[in-house]
Parts: sequence; structure tokens; C-alpha cells
Amino acid sequence: MTSHFGLMIVFALFVSVVFGTLMRDEPKEQRRFGAQLFAAFVVGGVALGWILYFFPL
Amino acid sequence: MRATTADREQSATYTYLICLAAWAIPGAGHLLLGRVQKGLTFLIALTLMFLCGLWLEGRLFPVEIRQPLVALAALADMGIGVAFFIARQMGAGAGRVVALTYEYGNAFLIVAGLMNMLVVLDAFDIAQGRK
Repeated sequence: MTSHFGLMIVFALFVSVVFGTLMRDEPKEQRRFGAQLFAAFVVGGVALGWILYFFPL
Repeated sequence: MRATTADREQSATYTYLICLAAWAIPGAGHLLLGRVQKGLTFLIALTLMFLCGLWLEGRLFPVEIRQPLVALAALADMGIGVAFFIARQMGAGAGRVVALTYEYGNAFLIVAGLMNMLVVLDAFDIAQGRK
């Protein structure tokens, strides 16, 4: 896989799963917090990508 | 009843053994402490992330004191535990700088190691009775 977006999704998935499990004790809360983290990573990554698009090196 | 010095020493030894197990095998500390769901999640997620890093042709950095950033990356890589040494022994993690996914691979390997360090600290807190 060489898609930047795809790799970002996989990275966000792993980090969200680990932090969700680490920071919450109840499985339901873990899923909820993990999903929030995942959404924040993906939305934040796409938003940052678009912001940087207007500032080429 | 107050804990004797021997009890405290035994408890400290147990805590450090838990931490050692947690570092060596991701999630092992939680499994030993009876947190099966958390332990299995860490074992699967962190091991897969480390393997993904190798698959993406990331590099397992050597400890080079003359290059501080490389040494820091090596310490982060080692956070994953025994898997780091097994992979290096097998010749994996050589890293191909020209590969398109090289930096992604490094990010996966380094972050997997750093997150396992956090998991070790969590196991330490649980063993100490703080959580």
C-alpha cells in the first residue's frame, strides 16, 4: 500500500485503538473514545493537508 | 496491619517483573494482572503496528551515540520489546531509504515502541494499585 491517505487511516486506527484501550476502562467507553480519537486524527489530518496545500515549499 | 520491609521488597520485585514482562511482550503485563481484554488488545494492535512498520520498509535504528537523533529513534524502536531484537536478528528492519513508504515505516515502528512504553507505565500503575 502506498496511498498516503490509506496509510494515515491505518496509522490513526492503530493509535486510536491503543489510546482508547489505555485511557478508558469500560469496553463501551473504550470504543467511544477510540472512535472520537480516530475521527479527530482523520479530520485533523485532512484539514492540515488542505491548509498546507496553500503554503507550498 | 503494617507491611513489613520484606513484604514491600517482594511487592516491588513483583511490580518490576510485571513491567519487564509488559515491555518484553506488549500486553503481557496487563494479562498477568488479570486485565485480559486490555492485554489482548495491546498484544494484537502493537504487534500488528510493528509488523506493518517492517512491511513498509521502515528501519530499526542502531544505537549510535554520535548521532543523538538516531540513538533516540533506536530507544523508541526498542520500546516494543523482544520483537525488536528478534526482527534485527532475522535481518528485518534494514530500511530502504528510497522506498516510498520508508518514513511511514519509521513512524509505525517508532510510535509502536513509544506506545508500548505507555502501556508499561499503565501496567506499573495497576500493579501499584493506583488504578
